[in-house]
Parts: sequence; C-alpha cells; structure tokens
Amino acid sequence: MSTAAAQRPNGLALFILPSVLLFALFFFLPIGLMATMSVLTGNPVVMPKVAFTTRHYARMFDDPFYLEVIWTTIRIGLVTTLVALAIGYPLAHWMARIKSRTGHALLLMAVLAPMLTGIVVRTFAWMTLLSDKGVINETLLSLGLISQPLKLMYTETGIVVGLVHIYVPFMVLTLTGVIGRIDERLEQAAENLGASPLRAFIEVTLPLSLPGILAGSLLVFALAISAYVTPILLGGFQIMTLPILIYQQISANFNVGFAAALGIVLLMISLLLVIAYNRALGLVSGQRELQ
Amino acid sequence: MSTSTSHSPSLAAARQVASARTAAAPRHYGRYIYLTINIAILVFLLAPIAIVVVFALNPTPFIQFPPVGVSLRWFEKFFASRDFMHALWFSLEVAVLTTVSATALGASAALALARGNLPGTRLIVATMLSPLMLPAILTGLALFQTYVLLDVGRPTWGLVAGHTLVTLPYVVRTTLAVLHNFDTRLEEAAQNLGASPLRTFFEVTLPLIKPGVLAGAIFAFIVSFDQFPVSLFLVSPGNETLPVTLFNYLKFDLDGTIGAASVVSIVLAFVVVIGLDRTVGLRSYVKL
Amino acid sequence: MMGSSRLSRRRFLTASASLGIGTMAAPYVARADDPTLRITGWGGKWGEIMKAEIGPAFESEFKCKLQIDSAFPYLPKLQASSRSAPIYDVMHTNSNEQWAAAEMGLVEPKIDPKLVPNLADVYPYAISDKIVGVSIFTSAIGLGMRTDKGYSGVTSWKELWDAKYNGVRGGYVIPVNSLGQAFLMMCGTLFGKGQLDLDAAYAALEKLKPIKIVDFTGAMEKMLLSGEVGLCVIHDSGIYRYDGQNQPTDFVSPSEGVLSLEQVLTITPGSKMKELANAYVNYMLRPEVQKRLAETVWYSPANRKVKLDAKYDAKLLTTPEKVSKLIQVDWKWYNERKDEIDQRVNRIFRA
Repeated sequence: MSTAAAQRPNGLALFILPSVLLFALFFFLPIGLMATMSVLTGNPVVMPKVAFTTRHYARMFDDPFYLEVIWTTIRIGLVTTLVALAIGYPLAHWMARIKSRTGHALLLMAVLAPMLTGIVVRTFAWMTLLSDKGVINETLLSLGLISQPLKLMYTETGIVVGLVHIYVPFMVLTLTGVIGRIDERLEQAAENLGASPLRAFIEVTLPLSLPGILAGSLLVFALAISAYVTPILLGGFQIMTLPILIYQQISANFNVGFAAALGIVLLMISLLLVIAYNRALGLVSGQRELQ
Repeated sequence: MSTSTSHSPSLAAARQVASARTAAAPRHYGRYIYLTINIAILVFLLAPIAIVVVFALNPTPFIQFPPVGVSLRWFEKFFASRDFMHALWFSLEVAVLTTVSATALGASAALALARGNLPGTRLIVATMLSPLMLPAILTGLALFQTYVLLDVGRPTWGLVAGHTLVTLPYVVRTTLAVLHNFDTRLEEAAQNLGASPLRTFFEVTLPLIKPGVLAGAIFAFIVSFDQFPVSLFLVSPGNETLPVTLFNYLKFDLDGTIGAASVVSIVLAFVVVIGLDRTVGLRSYVKL
Repeated sequence: MMGSSRLSRRRFLTASASLGIGTMAAPYVARADDPTLRITGWGGKWGEIMKAEIGPAFESEFKCKLQIDSAFPYLPKLQASSRSAPIYDVMHTNSNEQWAAAEMGLVEPKIDPKLVPNLADVYPYAISDKIVGVSIFTSAIGLGMRTDKGYSGVTSWKELWDAKYNGVRGGYVIPVNSLGQAFLMMCGTLFGKGQLDLDAAYAALEKLKPIKIVDFTGAMEKMLLSGEVGLCVIHDSGIYRYDGQNQPTDFVSPSEGVLSLEQVLTITPGSKMKELANAYVNYMLRPEVQKRLAETVWYSPANRKVKLDAKYDAKLLTTPEKVSKLIQVDWKWYNERKDEIDQRVNRIFRA
C-alpha cells in the first residue's frame, strides 16, 4: 500500500458523502433522539407536556434486578464469545490452510448454510434437541442412561450453546481471512528451527492472528448481547437479558422512555468495549491494515 | 511484536532440508487430533440443521422424538400459507434493496477512505464499522423511536434503511481489505500507457476490487435476510420479514412448519452460494 | 451458471407461490379499489377459519377486503402508528390490552349500540363496566392436565402447587400474557384477601417454582400435547379445540372459580372506515357467525341467542347461570400497577 504524505483530499473523497448522510440520518440522529427520550417523561409528539427527568435512570439503580439483567447479558455475551473463539479458531485455521479447492468450497458452504437458515430456525433446532421431550433427552431416556430428563434448556448454558452455534460462522469468517494472510513460511521457519508444530502455532501463528481474534470476538460479543430470539426461547422466558427487557418494556409496558434509558446503558457498555478493542488492537500490532 | 518475512536463500535451503526430514510420528498424531476436532466442530454446526429436516418431515404437530413417520404436510402448510409466502418474498425484496444500497454506499465509502486522503480516516472507518460493533437491537429501537417521533409510521424504506445500516460495515470491510492488498502499480502502469484516471478506474481498479465488493454484497444479503433485532421493531402488519413471521408463528404452533421453512432456506442457500461461487469464484474472498 | 440457477430458483419460488395462492383462492376475489378493513386476529385455529370462511364471507357480503394482522402483540404497533392514520380499524385482543389501549386513547371505550344492533343480544358481561368495547367470545381460565400420567382428581387451583408437578408445571410470562395476569389476581383470592391482594399473590408465585413459562397459550397447548407440561393454567378452548383427536388432555374447572378470558373488539378513533368497522363488529356478533366460530375453536359465544350443538353446549358457557360464574378481573386497576407488578414478577420467575 502506497503511503500518502499529508495530501489534500482528492475527488474520490466525495464518495463518502452518501454514507455520511445515511449515518447522520439513520444512526446518529436516532441515537440522539433515543438519548433524549431517555430523559423525558413521555412521547412529546403524543403528550405535548413532557418534562425532563432522570427517573428512568434512577429506576435502574434503585432495583438491583436491572443491574443483574445487565450483568447476565454481559456474562452470556462473554461466555458465548470465548466458546465461539475456541470452536471457531480450529475451523478457521483449517479453512484458511486447506489446499484443495473443493475442500475449501465445502467448508465454506458448511459455514454459510447455517447462516442462511435463519435465527429462528436454528433456535427451533436447538429447542428440538434440548427440551425435555427433545432428541437428546428422549434418546438418553430410551437408552436407560437417565431416569429423568436433563434440564438442558431453560438455563444459561442452553442459551450459550444456541448462541455459539449461531455466531460461530461469523467468528470463523473473520478469523479465516486473517489466518489466511499469515505467511505459512513463518510457521515452517519456526519448525525448521526446532519447534514442534504446536509450539510453532502458539508462538507464531496465534500471536499473528490476534487482530483477527479481537475483531471476531468483538463482532460475536456485539451480536450475542443483542440477541433476542435465542435467549428468550432457549431460556424458557425465565432468563432476562437486556434485549428481552427492552422489548418487553416497549411491547407490554409501553414505557418508551425507560426502554430508551436501558438502550443507552447498553450503548455505553458497547462503546467501552469498542474503545478497549481499539486500544488492544493498537497494542497488538504495528497495525497498518485497517481491520 | 515484530514480524519479518525473510526471502533469504537460507530459508529456502532450510525448507528443503526440512521437507527431507519428513513428518515424524508426533506430527501425524497432531494432525489426527486437528482433523478430529475440526470434524467434531462441523458436526456441531450441521447436526441441528439436519435434525430440523427430520422434524420437517415428522407429521406430529409438536416437538416429539423419535419421529413417527414421513409426511410433506408441513411443506404444504408452508407454501400454502399466504403469510409465509408473503414474508419470504418481502424478505427477499428487502434483502435485495438492502444489498444494492449497502454495496453502493459501502464500496464508494471504502474507495473514499482508501484513496481519498480524507482527514481522520481511522476515526471515520471506526465509525462506519460501529453498527457492527453495537447491538443491532439498539439500532432497531432507536430507529423505531425516531419514526414514532416523526409520526411516519413504519414504512418499508425505514426498514431498508435500518438493514442498510447494519450491513454496510460488511461491505466497507471487505472492500477495504481488497483495496489494501491492491497493487497500485497496476494503475500507474495503465496511466503510463496513456489511460485517463477515469478510464483507469473503470477498466483497472473496479474489476480488480470486484471480488471484495461482491463478497461484501453477499454478506449484506445474508445478514439482511436473516436479520432479526432491527426487523422486530420496524416491520409493520402485512409487511413482515420471514424471521419475524417465523418467530410469531412459534406463539401458536411448535410444529414442523418451521422445519419446512428451514429446508427451503437451506436449498435457497445452496443455490445462491454455489451459483455465486461458480460465477465469481467468491471462495477466496468470503472473509470478513 | 449463475443465470440458470437464479432462473430456476425464481421459477421454483414462483411456482410454489402460485401453488399457494391457488390453494387459498377464496370465492370472492377483491378488486383493487375495494375498501380495506384492517383488523387483528389470532393465528392458529382461529386464524385458519377466519382466512378460510369467515373472512371471505364478510368480504363478499360487504364488498371489501379484510386485512388481518396476526403478529401479537398488537398494541405497541398501534401505539407506534400515527394517531390520524392508525394501522388498525378494529382491534381484536384480550381485555387487558384493550383497557391499556383505551387509557392511551388509542381505541374508543364504548361501542355505539345504534351502529351495532346485535349488541342488544349479548350477555351482560360482554358490555359490563369491566369491558372496553365489546366482548364477542369468552373462555374460562382454569387448569389443563394430562390424563395419562395418573393425575386424577384435580379439583382445586391449589393443587398446582403440589410438589408432584415439579418439572411439569406450566404457567405464563405474566408481563405479556393476560392469562398469567388473571392467574396472578386469582392467587390473591386463593391465598389472601382477594384479587387486589398483591402481596399474597407474590408469595404464592414464589412457591410455584419450578415452572415452565411461555408467552402465549398456543405454545402452552403444544407443551401439554407433547408432554413437556403435565398440569398448567390454560383456558378451556385450548383443551377442547383438540376434541376428536384423542389427545390425552382434559380441562378442569377448579372449585374456587374460573376466570374470564374475553375476546374483545374495539374501534380506533382515527379509523377512516368507521361504517365498515361497526359492520364488522356487528357481523361477528351474528348468531350464525358466532356458532361457526364457537364450534371451531370452542369459545363461548357472547350472543345469548346462539344455539350450539349438544356436545359444545355441554362444555361451553351457554346459559346466563354458567356465564355468571365467570370471574371478571379489574383490568383498569391492574394496568395502573402493571409496571411495579412486572418488576416484581420478573424477579420472582428468573431462573
């Protein structure tokens, strides 16, 4: 990539304008409005007399329930991300290094096909597997290995399993690009110098793929804390995450202001993580590529 | 954390020596474990999809295992349902519109970012990628509240705008990746041979970045078709995307129609992916 | 070749779509310029019969098009739409949502008997002061049980708390479901001073765990059928509608009383189709229409003049005495406290 000295913007710079417009109108404006709604008593369009209030935020800190919900959401996100990383990395490595074209194509299809079946379908698939009358329990019962159905669904573990399954493709596709760009000769050089394949991997490949690990993790985490369908169905409506609470506030309590406040809190958490990610990225590499 | 790629002759020689020292037994062992782990992961990814196919064919109208027979009744129900068919078409329509706008806006933004010498490029890139990093449910909620405040209801363009926002980062990312691996000497060569900047752009640059743009477009399509959190807030009666319709269906029936929908989606997926792979050779570029 | 695969996919989809439309062809095909009445309605069995018979019959008699939204919940969508151009002309949902809607000014609290003459023939409960709009059907909320698991002799609500049902007990997500909300108030009556005794209700709910909860009765029906649940809170319609299928399930009217789950219609003030809307409400109260719907989904009709066939008559609430046993809940009171109730209940039921 040619390095540009401090040059003035050229004609191509104009191409950014449509996106800027999109972002301004459909991202920053709505988020600003949401922040505003979170400090108003009601919807100004419908109720002309609204006042500023901090009661929506105060409510969150009054009752430890809401902090628990926030923590549950983050916890599920973190566990999902870690497991997705553990599962996604080997697959991404294989996909990046595989020599045969057909092999790569098959792996790609195996990773993409679940993505195209849709969240609801995949969650339903896990319901058929994990529920008390589902595949796993019925099989174990009929084999006589258990006498009572195992509680696989209706727990955070069940939710994590479902979320991992749904978001692993995103992790794989992020990692495979980064791993693919790592020169294999570096690994070979390490092995030639006496390192075992495992050590070569740990000391050469893994560190070099760190930017991809960070990017993939951030992506999966953001997706996982935003999940609605999977936690609500696999948690049996008994595990409350922030998206479920937000949606319930809108649809069953009609509390647009409180929902907005919850949304802003979620936004703050995510922003903190993005900042942390960027810091980590800066530390990890003399990063010249934009990831 | 420094890395160095050495092209020194000693490396080549070392490599030859290494290949002569062919794989020792531990290496095979390690390879075996590697493959087993990966196959297990593949099974984890694909088994639930396979199970759904079983339920799509099982005539019992609730979750029950083992299956009692083979029946096409859920497929009939799926295709006969006006709601599902309309949702399928609508999802495709929204996905296509989203793909077009996300690709157009994202690719041009990537070009501007890579070549336009904009000030604060890194910050702009981070901003453009932020909808990926922030929970989509926030985007959906914020847009929903905006549309309510502006009293515009929930029009289709509003939904497409939301989808574009959450898919555009994919296009930006893949296009930027291609642009960065781009050998600018090709453009310089074209211009040295007399081509105008515009002609260089269309005949050299664009064709070479096409795979990256296309890969981004494919992601945009997939993500839009499967998008839930934004759609949940922004669909309106009569104009629902397939994921939302499927989810609502689960309120009334826990039967194999969902399975039928999944089989249809899988078939669709294979057709699209295989078809595009054949024409574009996308496999090398479908990376984030 | 991408071209041919895209073409074949499109052909496949078009073929399937036209197959679908062909199967659904109603005798009356609405013309493009016919007025459209936008209503809401449940999916499942109700949705099927509405789409197959009742809807088309209404469309051909009144020369209009009926657009039904079955993606519950409806109220937030109505709330999100513009006041002057509401997305529904008639809203069909349960009493609790209707009360909340009326409080927000989104629906008209009373139906005009001059515009809906059939109102004169309904039971008093259907237009009582506990109802906003008009109730066109009702069901009794009681207990549903499996008959093949040896749970004989269930006669009281309190048996739901029995430890032998741990692991197969079924209930609802109270913040979003009216059966759950009515049940909560029942707990106040069972263990405390009455419907309004929230403290007693909370204490009772705490003891109800472990319990499997769902957000909608359709899902509860399926869980009972699959055996995932053995004893649950459900309305009689949810059990009886599987009549004739030899399902091992039965409905129990507990001795302490059954709660009323009303199907209520209201009209939106901003609707541009008021005449058609009132005509629809009147149509749904016609004895023939009531009979057909009642006998399909096993709802109890609100029109006194309806004569159901014997087997339906035996189980449904078709006389003034039977109907008077229904306990109607004070939704206005409940909705005023909904926020704090939901907050409390969410904490009680988290895993």
